[in-house]
Formats: sequence, structure tokens, C-alpha cells
Amino acid sequence: MNTISKNLQLFWQGTLLSYKALFAWLRPVTYMASKVLMPLAQMFFFAFLGSFASDGKNVDFYVIGNAIQITAVSGIFGVTMSVGGDRDAGTLPYLFGTPSNRFMIFFGRAFMHIIDGAIGVVIALTWGVLLMGLDLSQTNLPALGVTILITTFSTCGLGLLMGCLSLITANVMFVNNFVYFSLLVFSGANVPIASLPAWMQAVSNALPLTRGIASARALAAGATLGDVTPLLVSEIGIGLLYGFLGYVLFAWFEIQAKRRGTLETV
Amino acid sequence: MNYMNLFRYWRTVLTVAEMSIRQQLNDGFILFAIVFQPMIIAVLGLFILRDKGSDYAMFVVVGSGLTGLWSSLLFVSGNSINVERWIGTLESLVGMPTPFDVIVFGKNLANVFQSLLSMVVSYILAAYLFGYTLSLTQPFLFVATLFLSMFAFICFGLTIAPIFVMYRSVQQWQNAMEFPVYILCGFLFPIALLPGWTTPVSYLLPPYWAALALHGTSTAMMPFEQIAFCWGMMILFSIVDLVIASQLFRVMLYKARVDATLDVD
Repeated sequence: MNTISKNLQLFWQGTLLSYKALFAWLRPVTYMASKVLMPLAQMFFFAFLGSFASDGKNVDFYVIGNAIQITAVSGIFGVTMSVGGDRDAGTLPYLFGTPSNRFMIFFGRAFMHIIDGAIGVVIALTWGVLLMGLDLSQTNLPALGVTILITTFSTCGLGLLMGCLSLITANVMFVNNFVYFSLLVFSGANVPIASLPAWMQAVSNALPLTRGIASARALAAGATLGDVTPLLVSEIGIGLLYGFLGYVLFAWFEIQAKRRGTLETV
Repeated sequence: MNYMNLFRYWRTVLTVAEMSIRQQLNDGFILFAIVFQPMIIAVLGLFILRDKGSDYAMFVVVGSGLTGLWSSLLFVSGNSINVERWIGTLESLVGMPTPFDVIVFGKNLANVFQSLLSMVVSYILAAYLFGYTLSLTQPFLFVATLFLSMFAFICFGLTIAPIFVMYRSVQQWQNAMEFPVYILCGFLFPIALLPGWTTPVSYLLPPYWAALALHGTSTAMMPFEQIAFCWGMMILFSIVDLVIASQLFRVMLYKARVDATLDVD
């Protein structure tokens, strides 16, 4: 019981401190610019592009897709920077020197970003309703909330894997940006999955966000939580898989780094 | 900025540009901004606009290329002075006899020139991967517009860089400035789609005139009078930007030499 309590404490402290460490150097205005305005501008750009393409008939498709895709700002950039931040700040040797539960440390890095990312999506959808005329009148809002949380969770799973890659590569921002922008193509945020070539559809199906976006669109069209449950279960599974792969890589990295003395050499 | 300096120090401008290109092509972030991001936007544009017909492929090529130009201008040219501050070479550059604005002009020339790669990449993508037959409707006017656009982008970059150095509160909005310019300048869709109140804002942005003329000469038979008007606007904004930049550089160099606060983070 004592161990569980200590691990939960570790999880919470790691969660809070890594999040604070990530944003402590930022002023609220920078947070607003990077986490609120940038994703919103991106959403409006693709919504207008979609509106131009469909002569204004299919704007909801783009607003919902890009609003949900905003989870990737927290899921990819936020989580990666939280995990990789230990290397940049020089705290990695101390972290690996402690006897703390690695599982708690690792997954603690993503927790706040799930909440943060979900809030970002809610803001985006609100602007979508107010400015782009997004119609959510048929939508089961609690189910949409569940979809947003699950999609953010699964995207953070990918972020954890990317975060581990940031421990072994020097071009972190290149990789992050590439994955983030690739999600705009492959997740179905802007292009219906069915209209993509077969190999692209295969990639889409292996990514987080794809099913979350499909689920959100179905809910906006009047589907029930039961209708989208299979999609959401798959989305959770994909998130867990990426998170697990990230954890395995994290553990492998620790072993290799300790064995070879290469903790901060990349 | 003393404009004659650009002619007097043309060798310096070219050397700085060459050095910048050599340095920046090894930078993953810059490669992403000028090659991969425009490429992904081109893929999205080609998929999204494909029902509009093959005529729009060239529109997407030019538009996605412009997104690369703007992103490069914002993040690379915008930080062209800041980078020197971060690596501790700013004082040396400010202290040397060559005018500092000439050096920044050379860096911006490199950034804008290498950003043209984004248009080339988008062209290759549309032509070979998507199989579109691409041709420019007014090739000579397009090339002339491209040169003028490059000059307008360089001059615009000259105003952004000192602002980002001196006013950090403005630089904090850097991430949020990327997509609004894509939208307001009509890179991939006409600004007529936007609310009317945004139109005057578009008119005040040099990239808007560049986009209008580049799209007009590449995908439409834009009348020469309209093209000439866009050229005029780009020249006008370039002159205004150079005047503003000269004042900004004066203030910045004063801060560097007299206040000695330029390197203070």
C-alpha cells in the first residue's frame, strides 16, 4: 500500500513539475501564441481551404478534423519536450540515478498534456461554432468529450514514443514537426481516408487521431456513443501500444546509456 | 539603411548569402521549413483541391511555395539577428566596419533564395507524383514577378529581424504569425472568402501582392495593368520597409553601442 501511495505521489509530482518546467520559462502570452492562436490559425487556414474546395459545402469536415488534430500540439510537441527536456536541462543523470519507478516517471510526463490538449480542442471547437458555423446541434456532447479525451490520450502515446526518440537524436524539432504535419495528411483531418491511396490508408490506420477524428465526425452527424465505441476502443489500443513502445525504448535507452556512458552525448 | 551600401558592398552581400546557405542547409529545422512543410501543404492542397480540376495544380504549387517563403522569412530571417546574439557573434558583427544591415540583407537574400526550393519541390511533387501537366500561363512575367517578390520579401524581412531582437514581446507571437499570413495573403485560396474587414489588412502585407501577381501570371491570364499594379505595390512596400528598417537598425545599433543592452537576455 505504501509503495502504491509513493508511486502515485511520484507520478503526480513528475506530472506537475515536468509541465511547470516546460512552461515556466514562458509568459502567458507565449502560451497563448503557441498553444491557442497558432493551432486556431492552422484550423482556420484548412477550413477556408476546404471551404474554397467544396464551395462552402463541407466546412464542418475540416473544422472538426483540424480541431481534433490540435491535440497533436500537446501530444507531440508538449510530451516530447517534457521527456526530452531532461536531457536538455541536464537532469537526466539525476533522474536515472534515482531508484524511482520508471513507469510512473515516464507516463507522468504525458498526463498534464492530455488535459492541456483536450482543453485546446474544446477551444478550437468553440471557435469553430462561433466563427465557422460548425453545427453541433445533433451532437452527443458528453460522448464528444470522451472522444476528445481518448484521442488526446492516444496522441500523447505517440508523443511518448517521439519523446524517447528525442533522447537519441539531435534533430528533435525536425522529427516532431515532420510527424505533426504528416498527421495533417494521414489522420484524415483534411482528406477523407477513403480517398487516399492504399499505402497511405495503411499508414493512417496505424496512427492515433485517425479513429478519434472519425468518431468526432460521426458524433457531430448524430451518432451515439455506442456507435463510435469500436473506434474509441481501437484509439485507446493504439495509444497504449505507442506508449508501451515508448516505455520499452525509454528503458532500453537507460540501460544502453548507463552501460556505455552515453547519457548526454547525443 | 544606406541603399548605396548594397551596391558598394555587393561582394559582402553575396559572401554572407553563400555562407548562410552553406550553414542553413545543414539545419534540420530550416530544411523542414523550406522543403518538407511546403511539400506536405502541397500534398494537402492537391488532395483538397483536386475536384477543382487540373488547373489548380499550378495554383497549389505556387501557393505552397509561398508558404515556404513566408515560413522561412518568419522563422529564419526573423531570427537572423537573434541567431548571432545566441551564438555570441552579434557584438563582433556590430563592431566591424561593414554596415550591419548589409550583412542582414545578405542573410535574408540567402533565406529567400533557398526558399524558392519549396516551389521547386512542390512542382516536382505535383508533376511526377500526382501526374499533373504543369505550365505557366505567362512565364516571362512570372519570372519577373518572382524576382520582385524576392526583393519585397527580403525588405520585409529586414523590418522583422530588428523588431524581434528589440521587442521580445513581439517575438513571442512568432509561432502564431505563420498561418494568419497564409490566410490573409491568399496563398492557397482567394481572400474573397474571408470576412470583409480583413481585406485592408491583406492589402498592407507585401506577400499578398506577391501571391496575387504570382498566381495571376502562373495560372491565369492576368492583364498586364493588374500585374504592373502588383509590381508597383511590391516596390512601394519594399521602399517603405527599407525606410522603416533603416530606422529600426539605427535604434538597434544605438542600443548595442551606447546602452550595451543588445545581448542582454
